[in-house]
Amino acid sequence: MSALFSPRSNGIFRIVIAILFAGAAGTVGALMVFARIPAGTGQAEQVGQPVQFDHRHHVQDDLIDCRYCHTTVDKAASAGIPPTELCLNCHSQVWNKSPLLDLVRSSWFANKPIEWVRVHRLPGFVYFNHAIHVNKGVGCVECHGRVDLMPAIEQVAPLTMGWCLDCHRNPTPRLRPLEEVTNMTWQPEGDPVALGKELAKKYDVKPRTSCYTCHR
Amino acid sequence: MPSLGLPIYGQKTALETRRWKSIDELAGRADAEPGEFPEGAAETPAGFSRRGFLQILGASAAFAGLACKPPREKLVPYVRKPEAVTPSVPVGYATARSDEGYAVGLVVQAFEGRPVKVEGNRLHPASLGGTDAITQAMVLDLYDPARLAGFTRGGRALAWSAVLQEIAALAREHDKDGGARLRFLVAPTSSPTVADLRRRLLERFPKARFDTWAPAGGDAAQRAGAAIALGRPLDATFEVAKADVILSLDSDFLATEGEHLRSAREFASRREGERMNRLYVAEPRFSVTGGMADHRFRMRGAEVAAFARAVAAELAQAGVAGLAPLGARAEGEHARAARAVAKDLAGARGRSLIVAGARQPPAVHALAAAMNEALGNVGPVVRWRAPVLVDPQAGPDALRALAAEVQAGKVDTLVVTAWNPLHTAPADLELRKVFGKVKNSMVLALRDDETVRAASWRLAASHPLESWGDLRSRDGTVTVVQPLISPLHESTTEVDLFAAFLGEGERGAWRLVRDGWRSRSGAPPAPLPLSGPAAASNPADTNRPRPPDPFDRTWDEWLAAGLLTESAGRPEDAKVDPARVADALGKLPAPAGGIELGFAPDYKVWDGRFLENAWLQELPDPITKLTWENAAHLSPATARRLGLESGELVELARGGRAVVAPVLVVPGHADDAVTVALGYGQRVAGAVGQGAGFDAYALRTSDAPWYAGGATLKKTGKTTELAITQGHFSMEGRAIALALDHEELPRAKAELDEHRGEAPTILQPVDYSEKDYRWGMAIDLSKCIGCSACTAACQAENNIPVVGKEQVLRSREMHWIRVDRYFEGPAEDPQSVTQPLACVHCEMAPCEYVCPVNATVHSDEGLNEMVYNRCVGTRYCSNNCPYKVRRFNFLDYHGDMAPTLQMLMNPDVTVRARGVMEKCTYCTQRIQRARIDARVGGRKIGPDEVVPACAQACPSEAIVFGNLNDARSRVSRKHADARRYDLLHELGTRPRTAYLVKLRNPNPELA
Repeated sequence: MSALFSPRSNGIFRIVIAILFAGAAGTVGALMVFARIPAGTGQAEQVGQPVQFDHRHHVQDDLIDCRYCHTTVDKAASAGIPPTELCLNCHSQVWNKSPLLDLVRSSWFANKPIEWVRVHRLPGFVYFNHAIHVNKGVGCVECHGRVDLMPAIEQVAPLTMGWCLDCHRNPTPRLRPLEEVTNMTWQPEGDPVALGKELAKKYDVKPRTSCYTCHR
Repeated sequence: MPSLGLPIYGQKTALETRRWKSIDELAGRADAEPGEFPEGAAETPAGFSRRGFLQILGASAAFAGLACKPPREKLVPYVRKPEAVTPSVPVGYATARSDEGYAVGLVVQAFEGRPVKVEGNRLHPASLGGTDAITQAMVLDLYDPARLAGFTRGGRALAWSAVLQEIAALAREHDKDGGARLRFLVAPTSSPTVADLRRRLLERFPKARFDTWAPAGGDAAQRAGAAIALGRPLDATFEVAKADVILSLDSDFLATEGEHLRSAREFASRREGERMNRLYVAEPRFSVTGGMADHRFRMRGAEVAAFARAVAAELAQAGVAGLAPLGARAEGEHARAARAVAKDLAGARGRSLIVAGARQPPAVHALAAAMNEALGNVGPVVRWRAPVLVDPQAGPDALRALAAEVQAGKVDTLVVTAWNPLHTAPADLELRKVFGKVKNSMVLALRDDETVRAASWRLAASHPLESWGDLRSRDGTVTVVQPLISPLHESTTEVDLFAAFLGEGERGAWRLVRDGWRSRSGAPPAPLPLSGPAAASNPADTNRPRPPDPFDRTWDEWLAAGLLTESAGRPEDAKVDPARVADALGKLPAPAGGIELGFAPDYKVWDGRFLENAWLQELPDPITKLTWENAAHLSPATARRLGLESGELVELARGGRAVVAPVLVVPGHADDAVTVALGYGQRVAGAVGQGAGFDAYALRTSDAPWYAGGATLKKTGKTTELAITQGHFSMEGRAIALALDHEELPRAKAELDEHRGEAPTILQPVDYSEKDYRWGMAIDLSKCIGCSACTAACQAENNIPVVGKEQVLRSREMHWIRVDRYFEGPAEDPQSVTQPLACVHCEMAPCEYVCPVNATVHSDEGLNEMVYNRCVGTRYCSNNCPYKVRRFNFLDYHGDMAPTLQMLMNPDVTVRARGVMEKCTYCTQRIQRARIDARVGGRKIGPDEVVPACAQACPSEAIVFGNLNDARSRVSRKHADARRYDLLHELGTRPRTAYLVKLRNPNPELA
């Protein structure tokens, strides 16, 4: 009676084992890599909204400050998604018959909120606070990118914990004078490092890296 | 461990006094102790096999493969943003809840219009900022998915407008005979608006009647006692802080009776320093107040009157005038006590207080009034007040009359707004049997219950946090009750219902309350809208511009403060008539022989109305630490005599009525007496209350609402498992909760020094003294009454799940702060120390060394942080924690939450998933909010600015929190106190929570 397994089967068995281990490790590794690349973080994906709101037009053409609509960005954790009534502050007068704004008007008259699609999403155990960042001289553009050039909002920063910590460990390169916080095109004059250090001192910038700073 | 040969009265050693948590432990039965992790603690619940678990695991893995990323969420802004709302910032609104008809002022925090957390209103006389566990848990009732919704009549669903029409038709029917066949059964209330409506209802239906029923008694006995002694049914308020010597005659005035939150605050303020007060308690069952007593005299409920008379006799002997005819010398064990108490009281004339309990007969209250007057306490300590309740009578007499009328078929319409009278009515009235004879039984209720099932009209009641109304506190202070949220379900209020009988149901409670106060305040009527064709005909047209109304501002000020300024009444002058008191005392029946059956409202479900509140069900009872049910409390001697042990089921019978109840042996209970808590064992109950406890009301008759002789206990041969958290988390007999006589304190310094200061260590401690903030806590055991409000507050603040009885039996309760209750002294008559214990935030934390994934780490400010998203659930940290304060999510307790319950979650705190460890964070969300607010404002956090939930709720201010690096903070002063010690100091953990030794002030004559 011949042997149940041929001599080759030893080799095949080793290869199968190796493939299984490599596959398991590879899957974990691939998932970890995926979570960090734009496809995984949700970057570089223009997100459609129920109303074709164009930040380019409102920021560049109309020169509206971010805080006109995102009213609580310097006061509260949430920056504030504008209520319908805020849209109608202007659009009850201008473009008040535009079909693009049908949804806004119907929202107002039906008293039914517009359901916008969230672009920047943090996990449930992360407690980000806009007010503290804005009041310490971190500009909108640092995290949200050139919103003034976006026809549809996309996420430019990875919003991973490593990315947050980069700045929390060394915030000075990303600081600007408070009056320039909403400026999309501000560039430091002179030595950026010296300016950052000066601003950090002036605004008492002391970012923390202990866990409860963001996780509660 | 170093020697702790410290003296304590009556014992040789103080700090080493053997403190024990259960009878079994005292008897040295090691097997009775479940140990740190009881058997089966790591098992899955029944009905959930390992195989089933693997199937579910496989299925979730398969689903996880389908999508790498969750779908994008929706952002839903307001259409019109309310001015007061800033998303992510909570707003507090002042309102009140009714405690037996009286107001308890509250400030309720709401996130985007969702009430999430209840706090006490600092300005309100009945709260002073403190709350109790029941108040903390009221938000859970609001969001209970099983609440009643909508209105039905005879099974037919009705809209509110249809209800109004049908009530109007019913009212016209009753107009014919002046309401002779119309009755209202209501709960006690102090609401001026309800008083007005009731007055007007009686104008329209002069022959109708309102009957008030308060199953837990309230102040009825006190008012009846005042009626005897003073000739008028007056309320009493106490300035407990001004009393040096207090005698409680079976009164639980620190936890449930009277203005207990205020009393606890004032009492605790005198438990430290040079001028400590002294508390004597005479009572049958071990109560929270009894736990604070310097001397506790246990006696059966019916014997308290004799003790009171003995004290009166001794007072007369000591030269206090006017008490001689009221006293009666006692023989036996309490004679010496009565003499010592009387001597102490006589030495503190005008600075003492005698409080009689709600469960004592009116004659005892009358005697207490006479003693207070004779001692000169009326004025400085005791104040008589005109009753603010609409109907001061709330005893069983009114209910008996009503039951007789119903039985005789004389009632066509019975409107019930009292809570579940079919369950709570004395058993001899047989209300259950006769209730069906009423043609139109109309019940207003928050939840489905027995009375609702029996009623032909079922009306869903709005929760107090959804209702407009008004309430008064005992001194008369008025609070407008304002809603935090519009009703979650179609529901109505008592005010709206009574208005419906007046044909004004469409006005709505807001208008009724506001217009009532406009006229009471003397403000002019609301100005009409500015001129226009429809202006005169339709004054309610709100779209039309109006001239400014001066009342708007007054109203808004009242709402903002949570009370009407200067609305408190003046104390009444009244004189005791000793002859009438003596007469009433003479009529008191002699204590009955045999075993005395005593009833008591429960510390958690009260009279039963909170049976469906899972937070309260799982809250360990302050004394027995029993969860999820009630039991028949017996003293160790009586249990021994009857051959009974805890957990045995007995047939408890009296007068031909019987229930089956589990026995619970409670140290310090009076002998030959059994105490049962009311409110459990309801015939109709929801998912939470189903099967919880036995019905004590079934034994309660109208002739003996609180104490009755002649009870029998018969073995059934069966046993049950009581879910008691008591033996769990044992500290293995080390010196943990320390208590001393206050005179011993100076001599105890050296011994206490062994429990504080630097501990020898081979590790280099980190120096946090240069940091901006070094958060710390101090818990003063002298002030802690053990009421467990902190546990309930923490549950509400930190999204802590409820695990159920089966899981509690496995020691899986999730409370971040527990209140340990240690007994000391003999089992028959012990004293107690209560000790709230949460994570003490060790600077050298043992949990951190053993975590393999760094899920628990230290912050730069020295706090011990728990990082849920790193935790893989090894539970090593819990094993290595010497304080046993870490809690593990064995199951997905938050899974499948009802949508309304999701609204209850505090958005500032992560809702933890299955398989992670959690523990007290010192309310880090409150620290971070304060830090961001301060840093945005360019300032430092104030020394006492951050208040965690437990400290905020504490009625007696036993818990203090703040910055230890700021010498001005209250916590710094507490940490420097001579009484300070660290828990398990010898381990070198350097805890941030310090404890202050409990001081007692015993009478040397009773040593």
